[in-house]
Formats: sequence, C-alpha cells, structure tokens
Amino acid sequence: MTGQPMSFAAHSGPSDWTGLPQTAPGFRPSTHKSASSVEKDYFQPRRDHCGHRATRGAWWSRRSKRAFTLLLSCVLLALCVSVPESALGKLIIDLRNPNRGKMPIAIPDFVSGSSGGISGNALADVLRNDLYLSGLFHVVQAPSDNSTPIDRPDFDRWAQAGVHAVVLAHFETRGDQLVLEARLYDVPMRRLEMGKRLTGRVVDHRLMIHRFGERVMEAITGVQGCFSCKIAFAGQTESREIFAMDYDGKNLGQLTRARTIVLSPDWSPDGRSIIFTGYGNGRPDLWSLDVATGRLQVVSSRPGLNASGRYSPRGDAIAVSLTFNGIPKIFLITPHGDIIKRLTDGRGNDISPTWSPDGASIAYVSDQAGSPQIYAIGVQGGEATRLTLDTNYNTDPDWSPQGDTLAFTARMNGRFQICTIRTDGTDFRVLTTQGSNQEPAWSPDGRMIAFSSTRRGRREIFVMDASGEIQVPVSGIAGKAPAWSPRN
Amino acid sequence: MPLRYLTQGLIIALAVAAVVLGGCTRKQVKLPGPGVPGPGLNAPRTSGPLLEQELQTVQANLKPVNFDYDRFTLTPEAQAALQYNAEILKRAPQVAVLIEGHCDERGTDEYNLALGERRARAVADYLTSLGVPNRLSTVSYGSELPLDPGHNEAAWAQNRRAQLRVSQ
Repeated sequence: MTGQPMSFAAHSGPSDWTGLPQTAPGFRPSTHKSASSVEKDYFQPRRDHCGHRATRGAWWSRRSKRAFTLLLSCVLLALCVSVPESALGKLIIDLRNPNRGKMPIAIPDFVSGSSGGISGNALADVLRNDLYLSGLFHVVQAPSDNSTPIDRPDFDRWAQAGVHAVVLAHFETRGDQLVLEARLYDVPMRRLEMGKRLTGRVVDHRLMIHRFGERVMEAITGVQGCFSCKIAFAGQTESREIFAMDYDGKNLGQLTRARTIVLSPDWSPDGRSIIFTGYGNGRPDLWSLDVATGRLQVVSSRPGLNASGRYSPRGDAIAVSLTFNGIPKIFLITPHGDIIKRLTDGRGNDISPTWSPDGASIAYVSDQAGSPQIYAIGVQGGEATRLTLDTNYNTDPDWSPQGDTLAFTARMNGRFQICTIRTDGTDFRVLTTQGSNQEPAWSPDGRMIAFSSTRRGRREIFVMDASGEIQVPVSGIAGKAPAWSPRN
Repeated sequence: MPLRYLTQGLIIALAVAAVVLGGCTRKQVKLPGPGVPGPGLNAPRTSGPLLEQELQTVQANLKPVNFDYDRFTLTPEAQAALQYNAEILKRAPQVAVLIEGHCDERGTDEYNLALGERRARAVADYLTSLGVPNRLSTVSYGSELPLDPGHNEAAWAQNRRAQLRVSQ
C-alpha cells in the first residue's frame, strides 16, 4: 500500500463524455468555447432583464406593457407563431407551496422528419424521465401523433387528456447532426409557453434534450433544472476509482486509474476539476483531477488526514479536514493547497465541511459533544452553533442551493438514513427508510438529492426528488460519495 | 547467563503467540519455528538496518489493538497489547512504525476517517508515553480496509482496530 506512485490516466473509451459541448451560446456567460450544439429561442415570453421569470404584477406595469406588446408583435411577425396575448396567469408550479400537487404533463413521442435512426419514443423518454425525477410532474401516457404539426397543437385533445402542459417536438437527423425543435404549451390557456431549436451531434442527443428539460423547469418553476449535470462518485468495483456519469446514470465513464482507495470527490464550480482524497502515496492526500486531460496533482499532502475537501461556491477556496497539527480540524486552503486559515477549534473531530451557497458559512461534523453532530460556523470566524439535536449520530451535511435546508445522514435503529433539516434547526424530515443510506448531495437546482444506498445489496448511487418520494438507482456499478457537476 | 535464557524464552513465547494470533494480521509472515536457529531478537542490533527476517519477526509479533464502537479511547486490553508491543519495539529502536487506524462499517465514511485517525493517534501517544523510541507515524483508513468483510458483531469487533506496520 505504501510507496507506490499514484499512476492515473484519463479513461479514453468510446463514451468520451468530456468532449461534450459544455455550454451553448446564450446559456450563460462562460469560459467554455467548445459548444458544438446550438440552441435558439424562438419565443421567450416572460423573462425580465435578469433572466428571471417576471411576476405578473411587475410584468403588467404600464411602462413595460407597451414594450412587451411591441416586442411580442415583432416576435409573432417574425416567426408566425400564433400566441394569443393574455393577461391571465401563466403556467406555474409554486415551489414555495408545500401542498402543491403534481402538474400533469404529456410528452408524446417526438416526431421524426427523417427515416431510420433514433426513435422518437427514445428521445421523448429522456425528457419524460427528467421531469418525472424532478418530482414535480405527473407524466401522462400520451399516444404519438404524427399527423398534427407541432406548431398547431390539438388543444382540445390535450385538455380532454387532463394535462396542463404538453411538450411537442420534431426532429431530423442529417448525417451525424440532429436538429430538434421542441415546444412547451400551456394547455388551459392554449398558448405557447416556450420553444427551442437545438442542433448538435446525434451522439449528444441526451444532452440536448436534458438542456431543453432544464428550460421547461425554468419556464414552469422559475428555477432552471439541472438535467445536464454529471455525477462523479467513488467506484467500489474491484478497482476503486473515480467515475462519472450523467445524473440519470447514462454515459458512465472511469476518470482515474489510481488502483488505490479514492474517497469523497467534489467537482469544482467551473466543472474543470474534481478534488478527492486518494491513497496514491500511501496516505490520505487531497488530489485534484483535471477532467479534460486526466492529469493529477496533489493539492495537500500534510501529515495525517487531508480529507473531505469541498470547493467554495466561487471556486476560490477549499474547505478540508486536516490533522497535521493535532486532531481533525476544518481549514480553508487555496485551490493550490496553501492554508488560508484554520476555521474550527476545540477538542472534537471536525470533518465533512459544506459551504452555504453564499459562501459565508460552513456546516460540518464534530463530535465535540460526545457523538457526531452537525455545526455551522461563519467563514469569518465566530462561535459554532449546533444544528442537529434529533438523533445521536448525524454526519455528511450538504447545504441546499436555496440555502435554507441541510441534508445529512442520521443513524436510526443501527442504520443510516438521509434526513433534512432547516438551517434554523426546525422541520426535521427523514427521506429514506430502506437499507442504509449515506452521503446526500443536492443537485444544483435543489430539486434532487443523490446519495449512496445498500437497499439492493451492494452500495450504489441513487437519485431522489427533494421530498424523497421518488428514489431510483442510477450508477449501474457499486459506488459511493456522489458529487454533482455544474450544468453542461 | 540468566538474561540470555530469559531472552530465548521470550522469543519462543513470542513465536508461539504469533502462530496463535497470526490469523488476525493482514500480511502473513513466515516465522522461524521454535528451536530453529536463526537470527532472531536474541541478538538485537540497536543501530543499523535489521535483516529482513528480523523485521518480519518483529512485525509478526506485534499485536493488533481493538476498540469499542465509535470510541478511540484505549481499553485495558488495548493498553496491555500495546505494552507488549512497546517492549518489542524498544528492542528494535531503528525501525519506523506506521500505525494504521481502522473502523467498522457502522459509521459514515468521512467520519470514520476522522475516527480512524484518532485511534491511530491514541496508539501513537500511548506508545510514546511508554517510552518507545521508534519513529511513529499514523494513517487512517476509515472503514475502507476491513479485516473481516462480514456484517456481524464478530466482524465489526475485529475491524475496529489499530495495526502497527514496521519498516526500515
């Protein structure tokens, strides 16, 4: 175990997912220039200058109404899309309402404009699964209909089917290129809600549809989905390596050739690197993997533990548990490994830091009171406050992207379960019941939680919606410690 | 010379103990059987490198140390094992000792890493307090390397341990 150099090399199999387009133009300002799929809005009705969905009241202020009418007219003229102007409320799922029901939505098979190739059912299934896993939609079975053009939906039929929304899509393949046009319709109001035209490589069809799904989530909930995210995890196959896959388990690829223990991967906010704890030099050091090249670098190899590294939301610091000067304490270090400051004090084992989304606080595990519990502390210092009280073994905190909730692992009846608690210590919920479940990780949109579970025997990665109602295995191979990438 | 007989007696006792306890250690090391002449601990050199076989003898005679669930404090049994180990290590002060801390599977992984580190450190601190002169270092494996892959109390009890590894 000792003395062997850690030899890693990037996996270069046929599923070269690192070569996928990172960002389409217009998605967000990005340093990635490798976009090979293009996405165009041809109708983008209700968004304010910040990109947020405007509220009805603000939208219909007198000043903006005139501008809107003008803009809408231009869009309508240019695209000949028939959208009735309406002051009625829009299609919406109110995420703040805990009693909200699921929105019934129909996603008939995508209509093919060319013969052969991918099936319209397979394409629609990608989106159906995305929206199902969000836990917000009831995806209604819908027969395919090749006769109705997607720009003239049969609203009567969809109203009769009882759905509030329908997605109609048309696609063509030209060589290795796929052109996909997809539209989200508001059925009761009989109007187009959002439409996209996407072009890309056929092999990237899942990514293209995931991206459209993210826009559907944004149009209906106000928060962009994150179906294009990857999940990295520590594989528990014969060779323990870092693997990554689409969030839904597809396109699994091995990222390291470490041939040693690897633990606790965490993806940098720009998606370019993954830090993890690896025993390549016989000790638990913190390593950094360049995702594109497979190059490995030691970030921190101080004596003792260099464990549970987590990037700050801006990527300019890493919170990590170090023991070089005593018992495990949380430190902030730069991405190159230089110590910025020591954050925690006292006589407990402090491990598993997680950043608040604003980067101002860190929650972590400490057993200073005798059993492991979750505490929070300001990055600028101050007193740590204890957050968990309900059980006597609480670990693995992960701060939700909305900032108001922590997911964590609690021991109950000798097993581990994923729980959530509000950051003020209220609203304790238990989300899992089967097997032993650990290491919750919120998706970047806060709609889903990835975790590891032994409920089917071996430990593997699962994804559930934020309420825990839908829980599905995704990794295909044994693994643990899931970590989400940013959107691709 | 009485001291020499005492030493030889100890060597034989150690060898027998090692055979009995051998199943508990991860790396099986072949020992010279009782009565087989060979370079043993009866002629220790306190400076310069040990012969490979001497190193293996030291390794084979070190006892594993076990812990209570979710604890890193040393039980009386653990202290007795370490006192035994300390006397061996004192006689080979030139070897370096790596102390591995391990946990059972009934903890979450990252917390187990911290716990394993504390176990290793508790052992290191105790050995130091006993006057062990060797270079000591620690490594935590959390629950990554169980001795017994079983999911029962017997397996867990074996897996909650600190193991000593000697090297030149």
